[in-house]
Amino acid sequence: MDVNKKDAAKETLLKEIARCRSCRFCVDVCPTYQASEGVESMSAYGRLQIIKYLLNGILEFDDSLTYFLYSCLQCRRCEVICKGKGQDIDICKVFQMGRSLLSQNLVQGSSNEKI
Amino acid sequence: MRASFTGQPLDRIWFVKCRFARRKYLNRRLIFMDVDLKKLTKDLAKLVGKENAFTDRPTALAYAKDAMPWDVEEQNIPYAVVRPDSSQEISRVLRYANEKKIPVHTHGSGTSLVGLGRPKTNCIVLDMGRMKGLEIFPERGYFEVEPGFHIAKLRKALAPYNALLPAFPGSELVATIGGVVSVNTSAHAIDATLCKPGDYVLGMEVVLPTGEILQTGTESTRKPAGIEATKFLVGSEGLLCVITKIRMRLIPLPYLGNIVAYYNRTEDILDTVMAMYKQGIPTPMFFEYLDEKSSKVGFEAVGLKAPPGAVAMITIDSSTQVGCEEKTRKFLEFLKVGNPIEAKIVKDKGEWAQIWSSRAEAGNYIYRLGSTFGSEITVRVDKLKEAFHEAQDIILNLESYKGNEFYSFGHIGAPTIHAYAFIPTKDIPNDVKKAVAKEVRDKTEELNVKYGGCGGEWGLTAQRATFLKKKYGEVYYNFLVNLKRTMDPNNILNRGNLEGWM
Repeated sequence: MDVNKKDAAKETLLKEIARCRSCRFCVDVCPTYQASEGVESMSAYGRLQIIKYLLNGILEFDDSLTYFLYSCLQCRRCEVICKGKGQDIDICKVFQMGRSLLSQNLVQGSSNEKI
Repeated sequence: MRASFTGQPLDRIWFVKCRFARRKYLNRRLIFMDVDLKKLTKDLAKLVGKENAFTDRPTALAYAKDAMPWDVEEQNIPYAVVRPDSSQEISRVLRYANEKKIPVHTHGSGTSLVGLGRPKTNCIVLDMGRMKGLEIFPERGYFEVEPGFHIAKLRKALAPYNALLPAFPGSELVATIGGVVSVNTSAHAIDATLCKPGDYVLGMEVVLPTGEILQTGTESTRKPAGIEATKFLVGSEGLLCVITKIRMRLIPLPYLGNIVAYYNRTEDILDTVMAMYKQGIPTPMFFEYLDEKSSKVGFEAVGLKAPPGAVAMITIDSSTQVGCEEKTRKFLEFLKVGNPIEAKIVKDKGEWAQIWSSRAEAGNYIYRLGSTFGSEITVRVDKLKEAFHEAQDIILNLESYKGNEFYSFGHIGAPTIHAYAFIPTKDIPNDVKKAVAKEVRDKTEELNVKYGGCGGEWGLTAQRATFLKKKYGEVYYNFLVNLKRTMDPNNILNRGNLEGWM
């Protein structure tokens, strides 16, 4: 991905995540949150936060992050609740874009580079 | 010279001493702690099990943010998150944290609207999500529930016992009973009808910051008279203890009747509420309103035609069906006092669900259109109209932002006005978000001070600690600080909330 495309993707992602109101309605419906017996970093809300902090440099790229982002089943239960009760965010699309940006770093092998 | 309780004069040195001690107590954030994360991970894993102790940064960050519009800062990020599943485990964590002087932040579901859900200092987050036990004892007239149980699920679990859960937060799908009792909020319900959840709490099990486990209250449906710990631990906002079990009375489910009333102006609804109290009309269980602009957003959000003006939604309760019908009919008659365009009883459950959800959705949908900055105005009921106009004036003339709009809705029968500043974009710098939130909160809270209100839903610390000082003065505030110091000598629990750190 060239630099311009990467910047555009980053901007789109941050804009979409900025719509989140932190109502946390998407936390409890997430099957991976339930399977982990309630760890918020394993919920849709947690993943949105993780991607946001990766993009703004608070979190640094780390292999363990792939676990949080790739554990999402893309079942879209979070999107259903977000559409009905929250802000109608394309949560799964955000995760896919987040994964794609992470993969770029994996491929490049720059394990400490901020996205 | 002021006198103490014993009649002895309190000299200036005493006051200076107290002020110095309080400042030292409240300034603990400034002392940077030397926390060895590796050791902390190891120690916490021993206390709650490896699978329930997390010190990785992504997990810590997932617990750092709440509904406050501005981003987290370094001091908000926890050192660790632990998920205990018993009061014994919580006791061990608190004993350890107290000994090491590490702050502990209790996390229910993090849905507070006044910053209670965000850690104010690096800390151990105590996630109560695994504390979900429930036992219902119809023969004893109560149920016992652990704090992590979600309100909506608890309501469902109580339904077969024909029991009403006296708490109605908008976030009930995720809000926990522990949070509700910690803040003592009935949320949308009218206090004059249903009181507060704390009024139905018969007793609790709590863990003190020093690790001792206390049992309070009674197993009888007869509540203790006289001094009893339940009363001041309910509503203590996680400052004095961690609640681990709540014993609550089973309240028989009443019959309900619903009314929707359409008005030209919000003022007509305010007149109605003022008349309701003045004339001694029995208050309903719910009396919600949407102002002219909010009603349009809310109704369209649920697929209804936009109403011509403001809307009131009222739910009447009674222990018998006949009584309910009679009470609803009488209330409909009373509503003429506010000259509604139309007021009608809604019997169809589907129709009512749609109308009722328009109130809930208004807040969500307004936020979809931009950014909102809310307030909670709960003034003396005879000053409701003045307060509403002043709130409108405040919101439309902010110093920190020009060109915002005014929206309002809320539990007007309680009375609560949620006056919102709306900015039609999400692209606002962090410092402006903080400034607008602070200005809206500070100025609308001056109305609560001016007109005898205190807030009845969102809790009183975190962002609102300054309000406590303004409303009640330094002596009252010091009393709370001293109370906290007595129970939490190292100020580990929810540090920063009583101090008002943003």
